[in-house]
Amino acid sequence: MKYLYEKDLRQMKYNILTSTRHDETVHAIAERLGMGEAKLRRTILRRFDMSLLENLESRWQMGQEHADNGDAVAEELGCELFTRFIPLLDTETMQTIYSETTAMTQEIPFEEAIARGRERIREAVLS
Amino acid sequence: MKKTVDVSIPLGPMHPCWKEPVRIKCETAGERVLRAEVELGYMKKGIERIMRGRPWQEVMFLAERVCGICSVIHNMVFIEAMEEISDITVPPRAAYLRVIANELDRMASHILANFSYCYTIEHETLAMYLLNTRETVLDNLERLTGSRINTAYMIPGGVRFDLLPEDATAMLVDLMKVEEEMKRHTRIFETGPLIALRSKGIGYMSREDAIRAHTVGPTARASGVEDCDLRLRHPTYRALGFTQITRTEGDNFARVMVRFQEVFQSIDLIRKCIETLPDGPIRGGGFCKAGETSYAGEAPRGELTYAIKTDDYGRVIDIAIRTPSVMNIEACAHEMIKDASSIADVTSTFISSDPCIACNER
Amino acid sequence: MSILQKIKNTVRSRSIHVSYVDVGSCNGCDIEVLACLAPRYDIEQYGIYVHNNPREADVLLVIGSVTPQWVDKLHDIWEKIPEPKVAVAIGNCPISGCVYNRRGTLTSPPVEKYIPIAAQVPGCPPRPTEILNAILSVAPLIFKDYEEKQP
Repeated sequence: MKYLYEKDLRQMKYNILTSTRHDETVHAIAERLGMGEAKLRRTILRRFDMSLLENLESRWQMGQEHADNGDAVAEELGCELFTRFIPLLDTETMQTIYSETTAMTQEIPFEEAIARGRERIREAVLS
Repeated sequence: MKKTVDVSIPLGPMHPCWKEPVRIKCETAGERVLRAEVELGYMKKGIERIMRGRPWQEVMFLAERVCGICSVIHNMVFIEAMEEISDITVPPRAAYLRVIANELDRMASHILANFSYCYTIEHETLAMYLLNTRETVLDNLERLTGSRINTAYMIPGGVRFDLLPEDATAMLVDLMKVEEEMKRHTRIFETGPLIALRSKGIGYMSREDAIRAHTVGPTARASGVEDCDLRLRHPTYRALGFTQITRTEGDNFARVMVRFQEVFQSIDLIRKCIETLPDGPIRGGGFCKAGETSYAGEAPRGELTYAIKTDDYGRVIDIAIRTPSVMNIEACAHEMIKDASSIADVTSTFISSDPCIACNER
Repeated sequence: MSILQKIKNTVRSRSIHVSYVDVGSCNGCDIEVLACLAPRYDIEQYGIYVHNNPREADVLLVIGSVTPQWVDKLHDIWEKIPEPKVAVAIGNCPISGCVYNRRGTLTSPPVEKYIPIAAQVPGCPPRPTEILNAILSVAPLIFKDYEEKQP
């Protein structure tokens, strides 16, 4: 069966990300998550639609201002930032990671728990 | 994106309601839309890539051709960004003339957006009334700038043409006619029971959603976001005593009504400009220098940002344009259309956010 | 000329269905085409109907230089239009690429590479009256005695 209008969009999606501001944003997100830029780029090209890619920069900017105010663990992990502002993870996965990390902070030092939580976020993003 | 259901209804790229090609894939359960995905790329011309390495004299005309509907504001924001880099001051008369051109363009754009909405909900009578009123507005833009669409009216340090006294009188007469007609059209829209059925409570977007997606312009103002009009920070508009219009309903009806109300506001602003138009030259002088800045202005659809870096000869080394449609279309597709109760509402909701695909993709 | 042909000519001269497709422009030409609908220009008094549906169109207005997504699809749309048909290029973009045909562009003008163009309306953008004039002058040339002209 021939799909009339379906086309491989990867090249066009990549063109969107080559703009100066988008490039900076992808760099900032990769730094925040602590993962390679190329891997992140491949993930967001696969997951996001083109409109969301165009809007990546302003969503990231609003996420910096408005996301995760108050809770220290949520702020470190970027709970709202990576689910509602930039939907890299679904809410359920993030909720599990968040509650497990909060439980871990009782037993082991705070930094170590956050590091483990971030490791799990990276795995979830790449999966 | 991950699929949740199998049924996917594509709309576009050629659609009777849409002026420009865009494709929306709606995943539906029955008539209810679960999620929507936007496929772009039909209008991607790569204008930012063309602009790089060109002198400002060329980029000025390219900036206008980012979008044909709001070309005046693209020109204005680019020129004002260049002025900020090079410390060029504008004569007061030129600053007022810029406001007049910009507000005429805003009126034309808002009336066109409302025309599209009425056309989409099949109220063709009102749509044609609005389109005819728009012609009068464009006549005045032509009277001031010499062109209907791509005007290239502003240059660093001033504007190209002066507003002659007889033209100002004719413009005031035309504005009175436009105001009268728009009052009638607004009444038709506001009180029509069938329009209310198709518009009220449909495509709802809450204030939190609007802030999260960084919506701007009438779309944000209809959802009750305060202080999102950049005209409040523009020195000339501040001198004219500009206030922002905000509505709290957040549905299609509110978005269209905000645009209707802003047309009246624009008429008042132009009148005030013509009354208090200071005498003096319309062009100052200056040289474009090297520098880097990020400058934002209020386009008809919302906040428009130009981030520019120039070199000593006034060439643009790097440029990034963030148009209002980028945010509005994204918010529309992922917040408003989601949970729409029928496929028929998708087109009207999409049009109500005043999408401009040429802006969105550049 | 047969009577049937005469009837066809009369009917065709008063029912021209127009569809427009934007293949990557600044949408300035788009809104000038829309402005033709306004009661001031009143495109329908000449029997021209703007539908934006290629399957019932006679005249296709092509606007814009060709973007990557349209490279294959433009020809598909042209195939869908029933005979007799004609394509008119509106604005500078489909003719030469206008300002977009520079180094670094993503477009690939002209449109003539993809579909046959019968008439061109230059301008950036052309006025609604010019667009109207172009449709009115090109349509009779193609549609009059269409069956008799066939080999």
